[in-house]
Amino acid sequence: MADLGLIAIGAGIAVGLTGLGSAIAEAGIGAAAVGAMAENEKLFGKGLILTVIPETIVIFGLVVSVLLWIKME
Amino acid sequence: MLMPEQMNRIVIVGSKESMKQTIDVLYQSESLHVIDFSSEEQGFSLGSPLPESSDASKKLLKLRALEKDLELPNTPMKETVPVAKVRSELDSSMAELDKELSSIVEMRSKAQSRLSEIQTEKRSLEPFFGLDVPLELYKGYSTIGVSTGYVRSNPTADVSKVSPNADVNISKDGKFVAVFYPLKDATEVQKAIAQNGFSEVPAPIGVGMPRDRVKQIDEESKKLETSIEDATKKLDEVREKFGKMVAASDEHLSIAVQVAETPLRFGTTAHAFIIDGWVPTTDVEKLRAALNQQVGDKVFLDVLETAERFEGHAHDTSHIENVDYGKKDETPTKQNNNKTVKHFEFLTEMISTPKYNEIDPSFVLALTFPLFFGMMIGDIGYGLSFVLLGALGLKKCKSKEWRIIATMLFYGGIWSMIIGYFMYGDMLGMPIEPVAGELSWSTVLHTNIDIPFVDDPYNKLHDVKMLLFISLMIGFVHLAIGFIIGIYNKAIRYGLKHAMMEKFSWLMILIGGWFLLIYVLDMLVTPLDSWNLPLFDLYLYISLALIIPGTIIAYIGEGGGAILELPGLMSNVMSYTRLAAIGMSKAGLAFAFNTLSFEIIIDVTGEVDPLMAIIALAVFIVGQLMVWILGIISAGIHSIRLHYVELFQKFYEGGGVMFEPLRIVRKITSEKAGE
Repeated sequence: MADLGLIAIGAGIAVGLTGLGSAIAEAGIGAAAVGAMAENEKLFGKGLILTVIPETIVIFGLVVSVLLWIKME
Repeated sequence: MLMPEQMNRIVIVGSKESMKQTIDVLYQSESLHVIDFSSEEQGFSLGSPLPESSDASKKLLKLRALEKDLELPNTPMKETVPVAKVRSELDSSMAELDKELSSIVEMRSKAQSRLSEIQTEKRSLEPFFGLDVPLELYKGYSTIGVSTGYVRSNPTADVSKVSPNADVNISKDGKFVAVFYPLKDATEVQKAIAQNGFSEVPAPIGVGMPRDRVKQIDEESKKLETSIEDATKKLDEVREKFGKMVAASDEHLSIAVQVAETPLRFGTTAHAFIIDGWVPTTDVEKLRAALNQQVGDKVFLDVLETAERFEGHAHDTSHIENVDYGKKDETPTKQNNNKTVKHFEFLTEMISTPKYNEIDPSFVLALTFPLFFGMMIGDIGYGLSFVLLGALGLKKCKSKEWRIIATMLFYGGIWSMIIGYFMYGDMLGMPIEPVAGELSWSTVLHTNIDIPFVDDPYNKLHDVKMLLFISLMIGFVHLAIGFIIGIYNKAIRYGLKHAMMEKFSWLMILIGGWFLLIYVLDMLVTPLDSWNLPLFDLYLYISLALIIPGTIIAYIGEGGGAILELPGLMSNVMSYTRLAAIGMSKAGLAFAFNTLSFEIIIDVTGEVDPLMAIIALAVFIVGQLMVWILGIISAGIHSIRLHYVELFQKFYEGGGVMFEPLRIVRKITSEKAGE
């Protein structure tokens, strides 16, 4: 199949860009969470949960990439 | 085991004369969580500390001052000091220490202040080095004025113009002058030197040439420095001699003050006291018996109520309505776990203390946290090293943070070995059994290793689809556990109807989601007919029959937000794919290093140069160490994250009050029974 390479690139982009997106989103939240923790250590749990919320983005990217990858075979 | 221990609200009333004995009994039993008495109660006032409090406080204050002088290091001590010894030697050793310490400290501080004094004098003398004028000549005239200071240019000509009798001494470098002039010319002379940029430096008091004086100062400084050193040495000796005793006395006195100040949390009248608090139901009779036996019948314990877990209706307070013991405080949580699960309580604590009426999630953590860690590592070699390291840590480490890491390594390591053996057949990132066209321990060691009970293990890098599928299945099961605990919690707290509306609905959606996933996989990915699942043709309808009513019930129970959370549930399940993904990334990294060592630097299948073999081994060790460290970090973090974010959100509320009974915590003193 001639488009195999294109599909592979697409799958890579899906994970890569969503990963970047999550990273950018988590950077701000993570910094704020660490700040909050410095004031009150008990906020660790809440901070962690809030920080990882944007991870959903990369998970959706992963789903798309897996679907593409299945197409390749 | 799952719920926190049942609590009874009790009140202890007694006459004031037996208060001290009562307090002793309470501290021994370690079972009473005191509720601070509200000072606004009519007819009651807050208790005042026991009489021994003021004495202990005074001694403690004195001791702390001595500690400050002693510069006691803040390191934990290994041996403990018996309380009896502390008690008997406290006064004498404190007096002795005070005597020894005060002379040393006084000597040292005197030397230090003298040293800084003469150093200042030395600095003020320095500018006068350039002038050969004895110090006594700068002062003590009645008709002559003296000006000393820095100048920018030589003022001799200007000065002699306005005051011919003036004597200008200028240093060799031309920057410092001392001008002597008749007082009547003072204004003119000062104007003249000011024109040359004069800035005054007052002459120091003293006798002789400045250089001689500085020599004297240097000699004295040396002497003072030695005496300071001596004092520091002596202080070290005193610290060595008294340090342990001082630290132990500090702890002893702190405890004495803590115990003596306990009545501040009680309510008292002129002749009686009242203590309000929580006791675990199982300990009430023990406490009552202890009070009866040791204090006698002057103290009376009464159980007001057993704290209920149900919150759905108002508390039945008819039996305590005539005597209102302050506002109803939240029931404290005493976690009720066995020894293994106790290791994991700290992980729960990091999020929040469980409420009195909800399941303590520590047991789920104890079950699945190490399992997930093991899934992500899945390697006999790493697992074994984790177990050894973890066992060492559990034996040696004292701090909570290190203990939880050791716990994770120990139990996670066990699972890593089990999964590494049965599921992957991997050791240090390489399969043990021979694999066609791949590096394995069998090729490295040139023998055909066949590990028993395992045939055709999964390969982390090749069977990715299968491993992703297994991860998703684990996700479904784990989330289902979460929802089931959620149902139980809601049922306990608000009744079955609430539990059905808020949690069972979500369980239905989750199970429906499972059927949908299988259906989608069959349609889109690969036909699953070969699995012979029952009712396979109906999966789409089953899933819809579960998801649609589930969503409707959740909508009724929770409102519109429930519909928005549907994709959230899906991403929760997808989140478990990290179980496969983390394992895969570590396997890839290890694979790269292993290939580099055993195929590229040396080729294990052919001739091997011994020198290259050493290099290959070094690369292998460094690479494995890197994978090992990254493995601990990422597997640990991702495993705990799956619990905190995915699982706990399904049922855990937290925000409870920790059960903190009256008790004495001794670190460096030890008390034997009967002392």
